[in-house]
Amino acid sequence: MSLGKILALDKLTNFFNALRQNGGIKGSLYKLYRQDELKDGKLVGEDKYGNKYYENARYFYGRNRWVEYNDKVYLNYDGSQVPAEWFGWLHYKTDLPPHQDPSRPKYKWMADFTENMSGTTGQYVPYSTTRSKVEPWVPKKAA
Amino acid sequence: MQAIKALGAAAPSTMLSVVKKGAFAPVVEKIRQVHLPAPKPNETRPYSPFQDATNMAEMAVARLDDLLNWGRKGSMWPMTFGLACCAVEMMHIAAPRYDMDRYGVVFRASPRQSDVMIVAGTLTNKMAPALRKVYDQMPDPRWVISMGSCANGGGYYHYSYSVVRGCDRIVPVDIYVPGCPPTAEALLYGVLQLQKKVKRMKTVQIWYRK
Repeated sequence: MSLGKILALDKLTNFFNALRQNGGIKGSLYKLYRQDELKDGKLVGEDKYGNKYYENARYFYGRNRWVEYNDKVYLNYDGSQVPAEWFGWLHYKTDLPPHQDPSRPKYKWMADFTENMSGTTGQYVPYSTTRSKVEPWVPKKAA
Repeated sequence: MQAIKALGAAAPSTMLSVVKKGAFAPVVEKIRQVHLPAPKPNETRPYSPFQDATNMAEMAVARLDDLLNWGRKGSMWPMTFGLACCAVEMMHIAAPRYDMDRYGVVFRASPRQSDVMIVAGTLTNKMAPALRKVYDQMPDPRWVISMGSCANGGGYYHYSYSVVRGCDRIVPVDIYVPGCPPTAEALLYGVLQLQKKVKRMKTVQIWYRK
């Protein structure tokens, strides 16, 4: 064990590494504001929606892979914005990210990924043949 | 308008005209939380969902709404209301791994000081009046998360003689979390979805429009 490790100087190095990687003090404060977390790691890849995927084995299992969402979504990020290709890597189903995995099926009929559209006009509403459960009261008009 | 149309094709056409006059309170309550346009990927998304202000007054009330919603979504206290096995998963989101406290969600044992009710588990006929009473005791901006198949629609006990087929027959539900039981992650996602919903409430804007 080196002297630096005994004096916990490596923690300091890690901190400054994270600071540098996240774009200095200002950038780091912005990252902290946006995602409440400051981590350093290796950029593994980026999907077509602009989300960046990082890995750092120093963190314990379960926290060593993470995603930083596209800057454009600002604070409106959501777990469902991770596309299906990256989901498996992020959740430890596979160690191969999609651009390094030759066995991923790619057909032209495969639909584009969409995030969770609940609460927007894009949400899925099934066609219903049953009578509505709610019968609103319509007040009588004064004749 | 879209919200009314979504209420069902069965809605009478007279309703639409009534709504325009502002006489139909329950439906107006529904419109208060309008659906946002569907998000497109790679599109800049500002913090506030209210971006269509035309003059300074509208701008001001929109920002006031943002402030109010920010406060509301940042401290949503759920009522401790565990009914069945889902309650165990509800305990999990309070535990260190999922730690709902970091979203300002803290369990509160009194209905008079809570904002959200998480209906966790099978709602039986015997429990239904109690649930409704607890809901009625909650102060007004209040939301309900229906957790698990049993609360959503009866689930496994749908054909039982003693179970309410979905807690939306008793209380108005905002978020349905599917699963039997839903994982703590799923419930946490439900809470986040509710925060999104709270974010687009138009309390001050509706007041101003009146």
